[in-house]
Amino acid sequence: MKPLLALAARSAWHRRGTLALVSLSIALATLLLLSLERLRQDVRTSFVQSVSGTDLIVGARASPVQLMLYAVFRIGGATSNLRMDSLRAVASHRAVAWMVPLSLGDSHRGYPVLGTTPEYFERFRYGQAKPLVLAQGQRFAGTLDGLYEAVIGAEVAAGLGYGLGQRIVLSHGGGGLPGAEHADKPFSVVGVLARTGTPVDRTVHVSLQAIEAIHLDWVGGAPMPGLRIAPEQARKFDLEPKQVTAALIGLKSRVAVFAVQRHVNSFEGEPLMAVLPGVALDELWQLVGLGERALLAMSVLVAVVSLAGLVATVLAGLGERRRELAVLRAVGAGPRHVLALLALEGTLVTLLGALLGAAAAALAVVAAAPWVQATLGITLGGGAPTAVQWALWAAVVAAGILASLVPGWRAYRLSLADGLSPRS
Amino acid sequence: MGAATMAEPLPATHCRDPSCAVESLAAAPAGQPRDAAALSTMLELRGLRFSWPGAAAPTLAIDELTLAAGRTVFLHGPSGCGKSTLLGLLAGVLLPSSGQVALLGRSWAGLRASRRDAFRADHVGYIFQQFNLLPYLSVLDNVRLPCRFSRRRAQRATARGEEGGAERLLERVGLPASLWARPAAQLSVGQQQRVAAARALIGAPELVIADEPTSALDADRRDAFMDLLLGECAAAGSTLIFVSHDQRLAARFSQQLSLPAINRAAVAAGAA
Amino acid sequence: MRAWLTALALMAALVLSSALPAAAQTGGVVRPPVVPSTAPSTPPSPAAKPGAPRTITWEDLTPRDWDPMKDLRGLDFGILQDSDPRAQAMLRRLREVWDNAPTNPRMDGQLVRLPGFVVPLEEGKDGLLEFLLVPYFGACIHTPPPPANQIVHVLPRSAAKFRSMETVWVSGTMRTVRTDSLMGVASYRLEATTVEAYTEKPR
Repeated sequence: MKPLLALAARSAWHRRGTLALVSLSIALATLLLLSLERLRQDVRTSFVQSVSGTDLIVGARASPVQLMLYAVFRIGGATSNLRMDSLRAVASHRAVAWMVPLSLGDSHRGYPVLGTTPEYFERFRYGQAKPLVLAQGQRFAGTLDGLYEAVIGAEVAAGLGYGLGQRIVLSHGGGGLPGAEHADKPFSVVGVLARTGTPVDRTVHVSLQAIEAIHLDWVGGAPMPGLRIAPEQARKFDLEPKQVTAALIGLKSRVAVFAVQRHVNSFEGEPLMAVLPGVALDELWQLVGLGERALLAMSVLVAVVSLAGLVATVLAGLGERRRELAVLRAVGAGPRHVLALLALEGTLVTLLGALLGAAAAALAVVAAAPWVQATLGITLGGGAPTAVQWALWAAVVAAGILASLVPGWRAYRLSLADGLSPRS
Repeated sequence: MGAATMAEPLPATHCRDPSCAVESLAAAPAGQPRDAAALSTMLELRGLRFSWPGAAAPTLAIDELTLAAGRTVFLHGPSGCGKSTLLGLLAGVLLPSSGQVALLGRSWAGLRASRRDAFRADHVGYIFQQFNLLPYLSVLDNVRLPCRFSRRRAQRATARGEEGGAERLLERVGLPASLWARPAAQLSVGQQQRVAAARALIGAPELVIADEPTSALDADRRDAFMDLLLGECAAAGSTLIFVSHDQRLAARFSQQLSLPAINRAAVAAGAA
Repeated sequence: MRAWLTALALMAALVLSSALPAAAQTGGVVRPPVVPSTAPSTPPSPAAKPGAPRTITWEDLTPRDWDPMKDLRGLDFGILQDSDPRAQAMLRRLREVWDNAPTNPRMDGQLVRLPGFVVPLEEGKDGLLEFLLVPYFGACIHTPPPPANQIVHVLPRSAAKFRSMETVWVSGTMRTVRTDSLMGVASYRLEATTVEAYTEKPR
């Protein structure tokens, strides 16, 4: 076997011009397969790590997946809000231990703004029950004295270069237009959270009262003309929130989750919905799973195409190698040696391409990780290749070995027929 | 190099000494030579018939042909008379439709395909008219190629006292050492043919078959090549079968065969 | 030589056939399987050997003497319409009773094996760290949720790779836990040693 391997290597090197292209296409296919798999895995892990310790998420009755997406991942928006008094009513169920309301809708320079209570910083957990930790400063007070205080996530601080004391202005909705800013009521950064690897890093946290304050003189989506309420004046108004977007609920016993969920769902005052985060996530993955499978199918197709290219290239070159095969027959190689030689050549090309592709995938993930972290709040790439990645890589190599048997078989037949006198 | 009989002692330094020959034959599990006379018979054809698949008439029909060991045979005939086909049968690459071809007392048809290839690797050296070498191997690697497939020839190449018989052979065929590491594709045709001769002779195979090796060479080179080939075969004690259509070379060989003369199929075709 | 090649081709085929299903499982579809039998007629089977978990049914989690319909006996449900406020009131009462369904004290500390459907609670990188085990499919969505003594809070020893509504066998020590509520109701918690996919025949 070893002499044939050396022969195959030399032979492939001799043809390295065309075979390099084939190897490159196999590398591309491997890159696609492996990096997509890594992305899929890391996105899933990231999502899963984003919320922990919360038994139910309550929102206006709509799609559970949508609720998860905007309440936890800050993706998309709510269709309607819920009234604070309804929320308090359902939270009075004896099985409820705590409730944290969330108000979404504003943003700051592309980062979402979350209005909530100081209890959020105690109750919110991520990963495996990890609590939020302040890297600098403190939480906002949630009282009228410290009305315009903000706590920012690690990515906001890093991306915009903010520190404690920074003055920031919130924008209404997604922002973008100069008129959409709450410029008259600037906030001050009093705390910076430590990095979590979740959407918390991209969020600016303020109190519910502050959200009310900045919208006092707004109606619809625009400031009311002619009405200006100065920041100090706003404190005199009733700033208790009437409406919020969603709420996180924790229970005294996790077994009571169904009872409380049903209690919220059948609340007569307002159409409400409570979802179990784990169940809603699985629903999300079912939806996403379709797309994942489509992507996987396409990547597999790319791999098949590149291997077909390998077969075609080696087959095409067989015609002018018939004398070479006759020489091999003359020195004592049998047709099966010829088959092995061709198959080994193809295998070497595949192996090279697969290794190149795997290295490129690892590099691509490392290179893209910072951007993905900044834009989507998802952590990419840490850790060794997953089992599925190994399996995909092995499948590419195995398919390459099988594909190489095709020109190998053709060479076998040619060698048998030609003997020592090839007709070319 | 007279007619070899059982009584004639073979030179001691020759690799053709009886113990060596017996050893190579004893290694075979079956097909033992029936009598001692067969020890000096290199090739034996009996009742050979060969047709290419799909051909109406047989290409070759040879009732009996025996070639003794150590001879040089000049096989001639016009183009297309089946010389290459006969060579393929002699080397065991083709199998006869009927009849038997035996090398060193072993019938090719009696061996399994893998054993045939191994037997060919062990005992036969082959020279083509051109394109003898693998372009992606160096000159040295090309010469050593048969040793990759035959442990016996590899052992004999080193056992002859040289450190790697390939270098010595290349010296003897007159190839300058500066070329030895070069890829074979960079050599001229004349140089390639000389390397081909070295490759065919490495490990001293019992039979060397040359299929018109000089047809692509010019007159000067041809003579030099002939000297070279004949000299080396003599030194190695190998039987040489040399195929050509060029009658002028015939005189240098100890035996001359005309294929159309011994091929009954050609006679029949001629008569038809 | 030939054998070597055959072995290589076989190996390649094997790797391919095992790799593709693993890769295609990326977006696993949850198909509602056959509901494990909760027929009351089957008594709990004795353990195959001492120390092995005892296979139980959901019936065993309900104390023998508990009758949820006790208060509602005598009412003829057939005559009431769905939208009738009396029907609503009755349903609400029934649900309250269900929410306070008592646990079977004899289950505490038992080594048991129970089949059910998974409702994920906490998920880590490698799988579920906490989940609820319920007796029927869709317990959190469509049908009324199960009574409190038909929900088991499972804490697996190692992360369990299962999705919402997959069917599993859970083995471990069952405990009844006092929940922190005014009514002094207890609930079930299972420290699971193994969580495995459900197959038709129990071991």
